Amino acid sequence: MKMAKPILDVQDIYTYFYTESGVVEALDGVSFDVNQGEPVGIVGESGCGKTVTAKSTLRILDKNGKTVSGKIIYKGIDLLELPDLQMRKIRGKEIAMIFQDPMTSLNPIFKIDDQMTEVIALHRDCSKKEALEYAIEALEQVGIPDPATRINDYPHQFSGGQRQRVFIARALALQPSLLIADEPTTALDVTIQAQILELIKEMQRKHGLAMMLITHNLGVVAETTKRVHIFYGGRVVESGPTEDIFIDPKHPYTRALFDSIPSLEKDKHRLATIPGLVPRLINPPKGCRFHPRCKFATEICMRERPPDVLIDKQKGRRVQCHHFEELDLHVDESTIKERSQIIEEA
Amino acid sequence: MVSTFEKYEAIDMFSEWNPKTDPIINLINLKKWFPISEQSILFSRVVAQIKAVDGVDLFLNKGETLGLVGESGCGKSTTARVAVKLEEPTEGAVYFKGIDIFQPMTREEELAIKRQLQMVFQDPYSSLNPRRMVLDLIREPFDIHFPDMTYEEKESRVLEILAKVGLEDYHALRYPHEFSGGQRQRIGIARALAIHPEVVLLDEPVSALDVSVQAQILNLLHDLQVEFNLTYMFIAHDLSVIKHVSDRVAVMYLGKIMEMSPTGELFRKTAHPYSVSLLSAIPRPDPRIKKDRIILEGDVPSPINPPSGCPFHPRCYKAQEICSKVTPNLEELEAGHFVACHFPEI
Ligand SMILES: Nc1ncnc2c1ncn2[C@@H]1O[C@H](COP(=O)(O)OP(=O)(O)OP(=O)(O)O)[C@@H](O)[C@H]1O
Ligand SMILES: Nc1ncnc2c1ncn2[C@@H]1O[C@H](COP(=O)(O)OP(=O)(O)OP(=O)(O)O)[C@@H](O)[C@H]1O
Ligand code: SF4
Ligand code: SF4
Ligand SMILES: [Mg+2]
Ligand SMILES: [Mg+2]
Repeated sequence: MKMAKPILDVQDIYTYFYTESGVVEALDGVSFDVNQGEPVGIVGESGCGKTVTAKSTLRILDKNGKTVSGKIIYKGIDLLELPDLQMRKIRGKEIAMIFQDPMTSLNPIFKIDDQMTEVIALHRDCSKKEALEYAIEALEQVGIPDPATRINDYPHQFSGGQRQRVFIARALALQPSLLIADEPTTALDVTIQAQILELIKEMQRKHGLAMMLITHNLGVVAETTKRVHIFYGGRVVESGPTEDIFIDPKHPYTRALFDSIPSLEKDKHRLATIPGLVPRLINPPKGCRFHPRCKFATEICMRERPPDVLIDKQKGRRVQCHHFEELDLHVDESTIKERSQIIEEA
Repeated sequence: MVSTFEKYEAIDMFSEWNPKTDPIINLINLKKWFPISEQSILFSRVVAQIKAVDGVDLFLNKGETLGLVGESGCGKSTTARVAVKLEEPTEGAVYFKGIDIFQPMTREEELAIKRQLQMVFQDPYSSLNPRRMVLDLIREPFDIHFPDMTYEEKESRVLEILAKVGLEDYHALRYPHEFSGGQRQRIGIARALAIHPEVVLLDEPVSALDVSVQAQILNLLHDLQVEFNLTYMFIAHDLSVIKHVSDRVAVMYLGKIMEMSPTGELFRKTAHPYSVSLLSAIPRPDPRIKKDRIILEGDVPSPINPPSGCPFHPRCYKAQEICSKVTPNLEELEAGHFVACHFPEI
């Protein structure tokens, strides 16, 4: 395996939100990277900081939020240092984002035409007429039937799946180098979800895009990504190749998360659970943020933040846990089978 | 506890029903259409019908869990709402313990039926009145069904059921917005189970929750089912959840049941092309497996003008000419395995 070069290198960022009830420590020293042309997964439960990470990268945080320290190196440039004007050029042209909810990401009062050609003309520095051609071509690529006509329609005239396709078309027509897809299929039905995922994978391969795929669906991660970063409570608790993370997790949270997916088990009616709740990020737990729910927690876990240990440089394998060396969380073959059995039998 | 309840059981209207041989709930050719009308000053005119439920045949046996699965808008919630008598059917019948629940009846009989048939609603955020304390929310069904019960007894029963769903006494004096999604779902479950129903229709009870919290609720539901000998209809769109909880599964598409069979059978000997496509669409959590999936073309059609013949024919990989002309009936191909298709896979 040749050493890939990161296109995005996020280094130790802290993003806070200032609210009436206190400071929300949404990102608490987050570091991870995405290599050129590589599909990377960002995984974790609701509220762990996935969307905030994407928004910090593009500098589109809500007004009450701020990235207070750290570096976000994109193609060698620290985005956090970039003047607003240049940052605007990065958005769309260099880094495109597909949002969680396709309805909120398209403006309902403008035709698709207006929402695509202008940005394309701007970012690709071409005439309106050429931009229209690129737009129609992109719509065709994502499978919108009769794109030359449909481009004159408004967002509400498309179904949820089609809106997400339109949005992907818009993102891709700008020919970005990095695509951030924030739960691109969560709001969609299973059969439509499969269509969109297939489309994203195909586009990613065809255009050699680097991709940051944000999701909490572990099946989607397994099928789409090469490497994964696991988030918990505003921190990256584990990183590594997708296969290693699924089969040989090093962090107790990763293992517990994967064990709570329903599957066919020996005792059919009992699922492994993680006790307690997803942590609040105003006054979060001290030390390791997972300690109130971790069955391996000891005194040091409550007191000290676990260091970020690089256990395999070649693979980019990292973990933040005081006890990872003593724990054996390896998943045996039968468990892996059970997890995905649902299809095997079909 | 059950014995104290028995003194409130005044009427015996279900003497004809034999729990060993007859289903506890039986839906026969159930239809629920919502008219769309055009308003003018003088009159309003029905211009179309939303065929939300369009001829559903379905039964539940005492003590089992029937999973009802299907994509958004296919009519799952509407089916459930009619089955618990929250809405009138347009056509067809619902039998509960052998009695047609829409036949004329006394108020006592009506209450006796409704007490035994409860529903947990889809959305834990909007289904609980935000201005009422948990105590009042859960006490309400007692006020309706057991007006003679003393306030003290009601209160003690509320606390008892709260403990059963894993909440504490002090939670009774709080309002819904003070709870997390998972806790609100527990409140909804407590509310439905407080008056000891026999059948509970659970409408997507875990869909809005994180996997770790989802696992807690699924375990809770199973424990309560064993303790109170409950019959469940469990609605979900996530097939791995359905597979985990169900004894039998019914697959719904555009207002109709496509396939119904014991759970293992459905996954091992999938008969209906729609079920095959649905199973194939699930991303599976094992990164080492490459799979060929059947990707369905197009969107789920509208229930306003559903396709003629078999509602699935525009997307079906097996469709023949007859499929667009003749609607296939739900037929028992093998013992307990019902399929509505002209060319089933078995
Ligand atoms: N504008 C804001 N003001 C205050 N807190 C915020 C704001 N935006 C996000 N947060 C908080 O930051 C944390 C991380 O939120 P984020 O949206 O990144 O979660 P997520 O991982 O994307 O979750 P989900 O899977 O639900 O989308 C949460 O605790 C959230 O409440
Ligand atoms: N009160 C109503 N008036 C008009 N149309 C309705 C009404 N309730 C439901 N519908 C329509 O009936 C169809 C079936 O809706 P239903 O809520 O039963 O679907 P569902 O299978 O529960 O979907 P979901 O998985 O999204 O909850 C949809 O097209 C819906 O828009
Ligand atoms: S640091 Fe301690 S509490 Fe945190 S995951 Fe490791 S063992 Fe558990
Ligand atoms: S009846 Fe025809 S169209 Fe319908 S599922 Fe069967 S083969 Fe497909
Ligand atoms: Mg998010
Ligand atoms: Mg519903």
